[in-house]
Amino acid sequence: MGIMDTDFSRRGFLASTLVAAAGVITLTACGSDSGGGGGDGKLVMTVWGGEVDKAAYQARIDALVEANPEMSVTLQLILSDSYAQKVQTMIAGGSGPDIMQVAENVNVYSSKNQLLPLDEHITTAGLDLDARFGPVGSVYSYEDAVYAIPDRSGAAILYYNKGLFESAGISAPTADWTWDDMLSAAQELTVPGERWGYAGAGWWPLWWSFAHQNGGAIIDEAGRPTADSDAVVEALQYCGDLVFKHKVVPSTIDYANMGTDMGGDPAFAAGLVAMNTTGFWNVGSLAEQDSVEWDIAPMWRGKEQAVATFGSGLAISRTAKDPALAFKAIDFLTSDKAQPLVISMKQDVPANVEVQQSDAFLSPSWMTDPVNMQAFPESSSFAFKSTFIPQWNEMQQAFTDGLADFWLGKQEAAPALATIQERLESIIPTA
Amino acid sequence: MATSLSPSATKPTEPPAPSPAAPVRRMSTSRRREARYFYLFISPWIVGFLAFMLGPMIASVYYSLTDWDTFTPPTFVGIDNYVRLFTDDPIFWKALGNTFYYAAISVPLGLVLGLWLAHLLNKQVRARKLFRTLIYLPTLVPLVATAMIFQMVLAPDGPLNGLLGWFGIDGPAWLLDPDWVKPALIVLSAWGAGGATVLLLATMKGIPNEFYEAAEIDGAGSARQFWSITFPQVTPIIFFNLIMGLIGAFQIFSQVYILTSGGPNNASQMVVPLLFNEAFSYYRMGYASAISWVLFVIILLFTLVAFRTSRRWVFYETEMR
Repeated sequence: MGIMDTDFSRRGFLASTLVAAAGVITLTACGSDSGGGGGDGKLVMTVWGGEVDKAAYQARIDALVEANPEMSVTLQLILSDSYAQKVQTMIAGGSGPDIMQVAENVNVYSSKNQLLPLDEHITTAGLDLDARFGPVGSVYSYEDAVYAIPDRSGAAILYYNKGLFESAGISAPTADWTWDDMLSAAQELTVPGERWGYAGAGWWPLWWSFAHQNGGAIIDEAGRPTADSDAVVEALQYCGDLVFKHKVVPSTIDYANMGTDMGGDPAFAAGLVAMNTTGFWNVGSLAEQDSVEWDIAPMWRGKEQAVATFGSGLAISRTAKDPALAFKAIDFLTSDKAQPLVISMKQDVPANVEVQQSDAFLSPSWMTDPVNMQAFPESSSFAFKSTFIPQWNEMQQAFTDGLADFWLGKQEAAPALATIQERLESIIPTA
Repeated sequence: MATSLSPSATKPTEPPAPSPAAPVRRMSTSRRREARYFYLFISPWIVGFLAFMLGPMIASVYYSLTDWDTFTPPTFVGIDNYVRLFTDDPIFWKALGNTFYYAAISVPLGLVLGLWLAHLLNKQVRARKLFRTLIYLPTLVPLVATAMIFQMVLAPDGPLNGLLGWFGIDGPAWLLDPDWVKPALIVLSAWGAGGATVLLLATMKGIPNEFYEAAEIDGAGSARQFWSITFPQVTPIIFFNLIMGLIGAFQIFSQVYILTSGGPNNASQMVVPLLFNEAFSYYRMGYASAISWVLFVIILLFTLVAFRTSRRWVFYETEMR
């Protein structure tokens, strides 16, 4: 400890500390710029997801770079939970991505001037959104401008336990099933305390689907909340009755007793629920197991057909150095040259309708038993479109808070939705 | 227990060490050396604070006076954020109430548990080392893993309610019940009492045996010995744990974030998760900064109160009173 033998003054010590600290500050001030390069063909693309997504996006990027050797694309995969915060930090720090994956939160960014409107690029490239993506082509439009190109888009579908259906003598579900057909099937398949007929509709895309099937909407075309309309109240009450009146759906408490982070997806894979409505993502894992015999069908119907879509698009951030190049990349990634990789890598439903209707999608090479993949293109004809308001996250929180008691069976749908509607009206400013 | 997740802007500065009321005179050589060691050992913190914390803290004072979504330039709005916070945000009041409730019960509980466990371990029992290890072990488990385990323990038909069932008590659905979710988080906080226990035990081991021998000759029983000798000797450590516990309790984040996300219907919403949502979900960084400064002031006040009252019950051997 030689330093302690030298008798230096306190002031000298503090001064040297300050110098050291100032040095650190200057070092941190020269932040590294991980953003897009300036016209040198370098692009940074941020996406969220897990290992499967990483491999699938990388495979498509490899195809892109092979076709366009002047590009070099860096993929940044961020865990879903922290994607929004990471991208926010990147943008705020002046090094945002060139291409970013967006979903329902698209207008959180576009309303704050963070995304480039793509209309000019679309015209220049001669891209016909309706032809390439069908009804979801304009899903990422906001105030008469397009902010993202659809990339993945699969409707919610009905997974059903084929073995249980056959042994109970129930015919396979179809798009023409009604609420009552579904209920009677669920009742037959329920074994109290052991197995439930249906996994439930507690997640917003599901009960919103039933609200739309009932002729209602959560947010109208103009972006105003209509959460307390009779049609929505009736649909939500139907979802709640499945749990507490008919007892064909596990309650929150039942799920908590099954284990940590239990929900419809793992419960279906474990054979604890006979029907589950969710997105494409379980197809890959269910295809790899033998304990549950399963198939998929389009969502049943109410007064009309309606179903939620799970999708994401690719947008160009305002900080992109070469927007034209970024758009060229997006154009390729969503074309029939790259989109088949979305399904062959077991990732998702490609948004490109041509690919959705090709054999590559309908009977993927990795699928051992035949699965009714036709359910996806069939569903897209009656998918409902949500209005992606800029206050999307606050709105979701209002539903989470306001429906907590409802999903515990302590409140009816009407008062719960009345309270939520009030909160939504204060969250969403009138145009 | 500040995690990497919690916004560092809310971390208050360390409380100043209580200055011994020594008469002002020329420092002796040993004093000077001691002072030098003090600066040497505190320098990593000082450097870190000056380099990484001071700037953002000052910046967040300014941001708390603006409307800022982190993307577009901030617009100055004066004290609007603070006004809205206190007059027009019922969820903030709910979260603040929850945080007070949590701190008011979990901090004393942790202190009492730590003291009790340390006192037990200080006795001549067999397998003392094993017990000591077992009691300290839980504090080494990362909070995320602990939270996951507690999700199972606290399940409506989980082991805890099973245990209560033995006594004929019909346990609640802990994390799903608005009335029981805060007590559940407090139960989880008691899990970490082992950290305080080890510190207290080390201090107890350092109390000279002569004190106890003298007290025994004077006819003091074991309870009297505890309150007259052991307790005064360990008060500085209790005080340290009280301050750290208060700061930690007001900054509770991970448990809430992992176990309940503030639900059901904000019954377990706390201040730091709330400001996290405001900043990173709703993009209201200015408002979130205002919340963090309100929290900072609250923690500072409580810490100051603790220091003020400490003179009455904390006993430092070096201070001749």
